[in-house]
Parts: sequence; C-alpha cells; structure tokens
Amino acid sequence: MGDSYFGITDPGNSLEWMVFLTGKYFGMFLEGTILTLYIAVAGTLLGFVLGYLVGIIQDIRINQGDFFIKKIVVRILKIIASVYVEIFRDTPMIVQAMIIYYGIRQLGVSMTPVVAGILVTMLNTGAYMAETVRGGIGSIDMGQREGAWAMGMSPLKTMLYIVLPQAFRNIIPEMTNTFLTNLKMTSVLNVIAVQELFMAAKTVGGNYYKYFESYMVIAVVYFVLCFVFNKLFGILEKKLKGKNDYVLAVEYMDNQ
Amino acid sequence: MDEAIISVCNLSKSFGKHEVLRKIDIEVKKGEIICIVGSSGSGKSTFLRCINRLEHQTSGKIYYHNREVRDAQREINEYRAKVGMVFQSFNLFNNMTVLQNCMICTRKVLHISKAEAFDRAISHLKEVGMAPYINAKPAQLSGGQKQRVAIARALCMNPEVLLFDEPTSALDPEMVGEVLNVMKHLATTGLTMLIVTHEMAFARDVSTRTIFMDRGYVAEDAPPSELFSNPKNPRTREFLSRYLEG
Repeated sequence: MGDSYFGITDPGNSLEWMVFLTGKYFGMFLEGTILTLYIAVAGTLLGFVLGYLVGIIQDIRINQGDFFIKKIVVRILKIIASVYVEIFRDTPMIVQAMIIYYGIRQLGVSMTPVVAGILVTMLNTGAYMAETVRGGIGSIDMGQREGAWAMGMSPLKTMLYIVLPQAFRNIIPEMTNTFLTNLKMTSVLNVIAVQELFMAAKTVGGNYYKYFESYMVIAVVYFVLCFVFNKLFGILEKKLKGKNDYVLAVEYMDNQ
Repeated sequence: MDEAIISVCNLSKSFGKHEVLRKIDIEVKKGEIICIVGSSGSGKSTFLRCINRLEHQTSGKIYYHNREVRDAQREINEYRAKVGMVFQSFNLFNNMTVLQNCMICTRKVLHISKAEAFDRAISHLKEVGMAPYINAKPAQLSGGQKQRVAIARALCMNPEVLLFDEPTSALDPEMVGEVLNVMKHLATTGLTMLIVTHEMAFARDVSTRTIFMDRGYVAEDAPPSELFSNPKNPRTREFLSRYLEG
C-alpha cells in the first residue's frame, strides 16, 4: 500500500482500520458530513416553517357570518393540510424519497438529488411538526386566547403574539428530537444517490471490503453530531426560560 | 332617555340539550353599572360571554348602537375592541411583562404609537396601583395584583363598556378588597360596567341596576335599593336570604 495515515501504513485490527480509512478518505467523509448537516438543517428548518403553517391552518375556526370565499379557502386548506399530514406520517421516508425523486423526474423536471433530499426531509418534518405544533398550541390555556380575543385581537394575531411564542418554548424538546431524527434519517437518502455520510461509508467500505470499520467511522460522526446538537439545544432551552426575578419600577412607587 | 350601547334581544343559549339562557332581553345604557347576581349555574357567566361573543348564542341577537353584531370575525373584532372584558382567571399573557400585557392590544388592535400606548398603559396601571410592577411577569404576581393588571389592560383599550366575569371569585379573601376598591373607583369615572358577581354588598352599594338571574331567565331587574330591600320575585327573596344568612 505504501500510504501512511496517522502513522498507520499497514492496519491490522479494526481500530487501526478505522483510523486508516478516516485518514485516507477524510475528504469524502468530510463532504458527507457537510452534506448530511446541510440537508438536515435546511430540511428541518423548512419543515418547521411548514409544520407551523399547517398547525396554524388546522387551528383556524370559521364563523357562520364570514365572507364565503374565506370559508371556502379555509375549508380547502384544512383538507389539504390533513391529507398531507396523514400521507407523510403513514409512509416511510425512504419510500417518500424514491417516489418524490423519480416522480418529479418523470414529470420532466430536473432536480438534483440534494434538492430532492431537502424536499423529502422538509415534507416529512412538516407532517410531524404539524402535530407537534397542534399539541403545543393546545398546551396554552384557552383563557389567554380569550383574553386577547375579548379585546378585539384577531385569532391570527393572537396566535402570533400570544400563543405561538409560548407554544414554541414548550415544544423545543420535541423540535430537538425532530432535528436529531432528521440528522440520522438523511442516511436513507443514499437511495436517491445523495452523497451524504452513509453513501460515503458505503463507498469507502467497498474499496477495502471493510464495511464494519467504515460504518463504525460514520457511527462515531453521527453520534458526535447528535450529542453536540443535543447539548446546544439544551442550552438554548435554558436561555429561553428567562429570568426568575424582576426589577421594581421605583419611579412609579409614590403612587402606591 | 339615552340610547342603549348594547341591546340584547331574545337571547337563548343551549349546550346540547341543556338550556343555559332563555330569551333574555336587556339594554345597557351609557354610565350604567349593572350587577348580575344569582346562584351558580344560573347562566350569569355564559350570558356575559355571549355579550362578548366568546360564546355563540343559539338564537337571538345582540345590537351595538342599534347595529347588529353578526357572526363575522371582522365585525366581532371591531365590536370587542369597544367592549372589554375582565375574567375570573385574569387571563394575562404569561409570555409578557405587565407593561407588555397592557400595550400589546392597543398596539396591535388600535395601532396607536408606541409612546401613546406606553402613556396609556402607565396611566391605567397607576390608576390600579400596579405601575411599579411593569417589569414583572404575571407568574410573579399575586391574584389580586394580576386582576388589577387585567383591569388596567382592559382600560387601555378605552372601552365603552367593560364586562367583569366574577372578577373576585378566584381571589383569596384578603385580596378581594383591593380589586373591589379599584372597581368602585371606576364606578365614579362614569365607565359603563356589567359585572357578574357574588359580592352582594358591592352590588348593593355600587350598582345602578341589579339583575337577578335564575335558571337562565332574568328573574328580576331593578335598582339595587328595590331588589335588595324589597325583592318581588320569590326566588330572589330565597337567594338573598340564603346569602344574608351565610
């Protein structure tokens, strides 16, 4: 072989093979990691936006006296939303990836595997997030909404200013979960030829017939990524909790 | 005779088969302080919630300055901005400070400037004695303080009518007084109020008109001097005697 990586030229045991492969295919693993992160982050963020939209749509209520176009549009949106959520929650992501990638190509639209991967991740995340958001909205007591409505605030503004900020905080743990799941679920995107981490391991493993060692390398990468993000979100959650004390506005004290 | 601000015509409300309100007719005129009393389950709170359109009536109509308030979101929003409400459970926004609670609706519904919203909030918070607490979150306040903030928040909208749904029922006895005092003060400012309450002494002393509700009907509607000293309806008599004994 002749090559030397981290001082290993002739790997013997599995550990040495892992180090050797990491060194030799460092660029490939790195690109895989970056792509995995890219798809996971982009797909998750877009999916969150979609999930919030669907969650809000599912919460809209129609009044009898509302303008009829508004009634029709809301009804249609609600039907689309519930069909979408059902379909994507009840089918595996790997199948969704195949159907979307090849389906779109059959329609004659060219789409790179990465874009398709982000699209699948987004749609999948959106469906789960919609349910999470619905739960988050439900966790905010009705009284706060009534308090806002009773002063003439529209249900949409009430949602934006009162309910969602609180619901958001309540569902951070669930959002963290979703992101970590996505980080790992991008591995199924190798079926549509996305060159992410799993694909890298498959390729590298094939070169030396060292599949165990190659997959162990990416297992470590996945673990480290998830571990780090989990801790980061934990810190974010604590930050958002806010202070426990407040400052008396002494300039208004004389009025007491 | 002043024109009525709110007229309720033939209002009925059922939850399933259970009839909560039966054919209620009431007019609220400017400057009136109407206390609604009655035993639990007589429909007082549901009636007030119907007036604010938080509950949708089964039949009957509500008029605001002789215009019907229809069941369309936009009309409801405009109407509610003029008819404020204070709740038994305060319903402050937990994600905001006291000051933000008092500013959010004036900013987002009435679209007034930040400076004006701030001035309004401070002046009404001073009115209820809560100005020093502008930086506190609702969770850091006592029940009485929360309710006073809720009253200030409602006042910031400059409502024509303010509805109170048992504002002191969720409070510890020693905090009832501070809220009632604020309400007594409001009564002197000429604000039109509709108050569902169990505080008989307050109803007798402060209201200009007292309504006794019984099983979904308005059983008696009279000035407090009459209703409390010489009730005509036997049910009113029964209710009041039970209250005065207890």
